[in-house]
Amino acid sequence: MILTLLFLFAVCSICSAEETFSERLILSPNRDGTVTSSFAFTTLLRDAQPRDPAKLAEEDESQHYTLFPLALGQILRDNAITELHLTLNAGKWDYQNWGYPEEEGVGTGAELWAWMGEGAMQTADERWKNLRNALAGLFCASLGSLDEQRTTSPVLTFQPEGDLPQASTSHELRHGTLPSENVCTENLTPFLKLLPCKARSGIATLLNPHRLFDADWHGMGVHVRYLEGAGIEVRLAFQAVLNPVRYSGDKKRDWSLSSLFDRSIERSCPVAGSSDIVVQVPPFGAIITEPAPSANNAGSIAYDVRRVDKPLDVGMRWPDEAWFEYPLDAPPSALMIRRTLKGSDQYKGRLSVVLTNSAMAEVKTSYLETMPWLLQFYLHSLRVICDGIPRDDLVSIISYTPPVPHARPSLLQALLTLPANSTVELTMDVVKPFLRYTEHPPDAHRGWDLPPAVFVPLDANATGGRLRLRRVYTSVLLVDLAVPDFSMPYNVIIMSCTLIALIFGSVFNLLTRKFVVVSLAKAKRAAVDNNNHVRRD
Amino acid sequence: MPPRILKNLLAKVKGKGDKNITRIRRRRALADVAWKAYPRLQLLLFVIGYVWLLTIPSTLHGQRTYIDENALQPGQVNTNWNWGDVQRADRYLEHLELMRDRNASSHETATFISNEFRKLGIPSSTQEYGFLTTSGVVSGTNAYAVLSSPRASGTEAMVISASRLSRTSEGDGTPNLRGVATVLSLAACFKGYSLWAKDLVFVISDGYLDGMQAWISSYHGVTQSNLVAEPLQLSSGIIWTALNIDYPGHSFSHLGVFFEGLNGRLPNQDLINSFQIISRHTGGVPVLVYEHIDQNEFPDLVPDLVPQWLPDGIRRHDTTKEYAYRAQNVIRHVGYQARGRASGVHGLLHQFHIDAITLFAVPAQGPHGFHAIGRVVESTLRTMNNLLERLHASFFFYLLVGSTTFMKIGSFLPAPVLVSTAMLIGGMGAWTRARWTRQEQAEYATEKGEEDRDVPAERWVERSRPIVPALFVIVYTHALGIVLFHLCTRPWIAAGGKVSSSTFPGMSATNGRQLASTLLFATVSVAAGAGSLLARSESSSTKSPNYMILKTFNLCLASTVISVTSVLNFSLAATLAVFMGLPLTLSVPSRSVTAGLAKFALYTLFALGWLLFTPGEIAQAVKNWEILRVWFAPFVCIVYTPLVLQAGIICLLRP
Repeated sequence: MILTLLFLFAVCSICSAEETFSERLILSPNRDGTVTSSFAFTTLLRDAQPRDPAKLAEEDESQHYTLFPLALGQILRDNAITELHLTLNAGKWDYQNWGYPEEEGVGTGAELWAWMGEGAMQTADERWKNLRNALAGLFCASLGSLDEQRTTSPVLTFQPEGDLPQASTSHELRHGTLPSENVCTENLTPFLKLLPCKARSGIATLLNPHRLFDADWHGMGVHVRYLEGAGIEVRLAFQAVLNPVRYSGDKKRDWSLSSLFDRSIERSCPVAGSSDIVVQVPPFGAIITEPAPSANNAGSIAYDVRRVDKPLDVGMRWPDEAWFEYPLDAPPSALMIRRTLKGSDQYKGRLSVVLTNSAMAEVKTSYLETMPWLLQFYLHSLRVICDGIPRDDLVSIISYTPPVPHARPSLLQALLTLPANSTVELTMDVVKPFLRYTEHPPDAHRGWDLPPAVFVPLDANATGGRLRLRRVYTSVLLVDLAVPDFSMPYNVIIMSCTLIALIFGSVFNLLTRKFVVVSLAKAKRAAVDNNNHVRRD
Repeated sequence: MPPRILKNLLAKVKGKGDKNITRIRRRRALADVAWKAYPRLQLLLFVIGYVWLLTIPSTLHGQRTYIDENALQPGQVNTNWNWGDVQRADRYLEHLELMRDRNASSHETATFISNEFRKLGIPSSTQEYGFLTTSGVVSGTNAYAVLSSPRASGTEAMVISASRLSRTSEGDGTPNLRGVATVLSLAACFKGYSLWAKDLVFVISDGYLDGMQAWISSYHGVTQSNLVAEPLQLSSGIIWTALNIDYPGHSFSHLGVFFEGLNGRLPNQDLINSFQIISRHTGGVPVLVYEHIDQNEFPDLVPDLVPQWLPDGIRRHDTTKEYAYRAQNVIRHVGYQARGRASGVHGLLHQFHIDAITLFAVPAQGPHGFHAIGRVVESTLRTMNNLLERLHASFFFYLLVGSTTFMKIGSFLPAPVLVSTAMLIGGMGAWTRARWTRQEQAEYATEKGEEDRDVPAERWVERSRPIVPALFVIVYTHALGIVLFHLCTRPWIAAGGKVSSSTFPGMSATNGRQLASTLLFATVSVAAGAGSLLARSESSSTKSPNYMILKTFNLCLASTVISVTSVLNFSLAATLAVFMGLPLTLSVPSRSVTAGLAKFALYTLFALGWLLFTPGEIAQAVKNWEILRVWFAPFVCIVYTPLVLQAGIICLLRP
């Protein structure tokens, strides 16, 4: 008996040696008084390989995990997914005030993209369908709606973040966005269940839904990638932009863990290989309240949650400020993008993208639109105006897949050149198609959410090698399509039925009637004669 | 089995013998009845139509307002606006008053407002614009700010606006300082909460209407040939609803609601009803339609509309007062809607499918101030914030006769439609009369060379109906209308002012304009009279007289215009029904030339009298056309005037 227990314990320790878990929280105060908090919980499955899609038909090897989330692992293996990224975000990321995010997938709503190997019995599209339905069940999100009408394969913008196994011949990308997805507690609870310590200890204690979902921006992400030589890595990430100025009664931007999350860290997660809190320190004015940090680098300080005294409540104060004064000067942002849909017509409109490059150097950026067929581009009307001068040479279209109504979205990939210190406006006429009446959602008069455009600024200094390019998401759009008056369908049905009956009746009457000459009786003639003017038969 | 009486009745109607012959006879008899009765039917429809119009303000019609859209939930929230926010509004007001006292330029004020928004942490910017109009350049600077709501995707937005000039006396230049201060302080208040589901866009538009027109056009990327406006630096999503705040006085007693938009558009009534409920229950402020004091609230008050000469028993009777109060509201409404005018800044937003109203703080000694208006606006915005879809229920056609009483479309629309039907019947009658004429039987017999034993003394003969001369007259008069409209938009009619004094040296501006208008009146009248030559050919026994054909077309055209307009702009249709219904029906040529000319002169006065008697109205209508694209001026010149001139030409034609 004891031997058996010992044996089991040994097996478990071997298992855990193959899996490592680390957690990290980065807190950075922003210029508008908010604090960006980025949680990352990383589990690495050492020496594991993504499942070979060619062997999907065979019995899979059994899966035994201690730290790695089993629910997720099953989905990955069942569909032979090499790389997976799912983000669920609420709010509009303000690149100007909050800078570039730690987790770059900040597009509003749900975004799912996956790289899959080819060569299976099931096609990539079938596995993609299984994947999104499985994830929809796992995260309580309407990812099932990411159907063919929203799926594209924008390989230029969404390059794999890890490695693709050499064994498989080729890999396919599937990408879909659902901007109308609302993110709330029902998504956070399954997210927390994937963590080895849930929200009971360690940094995950701070994931208090009451505060996170009251933040100016919040989003969660699940990222799976394969690293050659290391294994399969799962990163569960949560980002929130919290607003201490709004929470405090006296309009100060001082914050601490307990004021931001209404919790402090009472104990550390025992299985975590590393557990760090990193605080970015602004250049002036701020002082860090206790406790003493474990490490102090230039511009940032770090705490090792496993070592410091508990409860841990990191904070920052600006003692010289009576209240927070918002900066009046323009934010120092190199690239500013504003995408809007102009026109109030229900048939046509104009898509306008304004890019301001305030840097002193020319910037090249790729531009991606994955537009459902609800908005159709007139590509020939694409115009580029740079500081009031037409400059159509600044845009070059790399690929364009036109939409198929009721079936497939359009995909536009282009390359833009932004001259130094300039404002470039890109406009394109669009048409709004008519929907079948069964295609309207229950809230038909709300309009349809359209996915964000994605820009990837290309570094001019990059000279080959593996360079991490960062994606920039624009805000999402809402488009008003022509909507029938659903409030009175019965009136309409009755009216059209009446009209059809009338028309049918008279046509039928004329077709079947026999026309004969009727001579009116002679005796009656005098009496009738007066009426003769009306009609002569 | 049907009873015997019914059987007998059926047998009587069916008649004996061949049923086809009976049927044809019955049809002829019916047609005969219709022909004989049509003048009476026409008269009956006219009487019903006009009486119906008169009963619109009576208590016969109307029902209490209610909320149709369940999502709105008006007045269900605790407001956060407190005395600290009132104090902040007072401080903003002090600043604005100082700037007004030292005559700060509009750009300077806009920059100040924009900076105040930025100090609150709300991104803000300014927009300069200029309109080129006949009467000169209208320019200014708007200030606006976009508060991105936490967690919201920024695809939907609400607008809270205040124009720098109040709507008092339709924008006579009274500053709306307290309205601007309210918006600034509301922005500070709203920044502190995360409950907003839509972005909040604050707009302080310059001028009365022009600033908002420039801003909202730029927001939607709509270009206007005579507008030069800076592109907006900040953007947000689709705007569904908007509130405009107009608070010109020191304090206010009531909040008046103004809702008419450009070209007769109306906002969804749910918005007005929600505001009414919120103002009454959350703010404790009574609501008025416009600034008309409700006689139910002040029993001693007798509306001005009730004539003084009426005996006191009738004058002070509740029914009289209620009728007069409602009539006051209806007349005001028709005044805005028929002329296509916006009754406030909100009216400019309707063209972009935004439901918007203006809250007008009716100036008084008290008792309400910033505290009440802030709470009402905050709660109304929270209600708008609840919306999950655009306001879409069928609540766009209504007549608000009191703040809590309204008329549904079915209870007012038939009135002008009945009048137009009467005109249509008249037109059809004229068409038939043009075809058929009675002739002595002898004459008829010789013509046809036919012998018949039992013939009556007279019988009907057919005539041909030449339509070309009448069509010429119609095309000619409408073309004349286009020329008239073109001339009306020239500076010497529309503006008077400086241009006239330079064109006619030694003459005051008013005199110059009067001279120009009189000249134009005379020219157009003579040109219209000359138009009668186009259709002056002789009538004969085989050809119908031209005036009948012209009258047919004139009446049918006018009737169509009225019925089509009635579903787009009820007030305009009702006004047209009143002004064109009887006059057009009564036009007949005279045997004597003098009488014909006199009648023509009367019709001309009817068609073109506005040129002589309402110079201010013309200037306003032309300005509205140029800046706001209000169709009233071209409609009058190209549709109304030619139709009445055609009736005048009928009087000049041969009988």
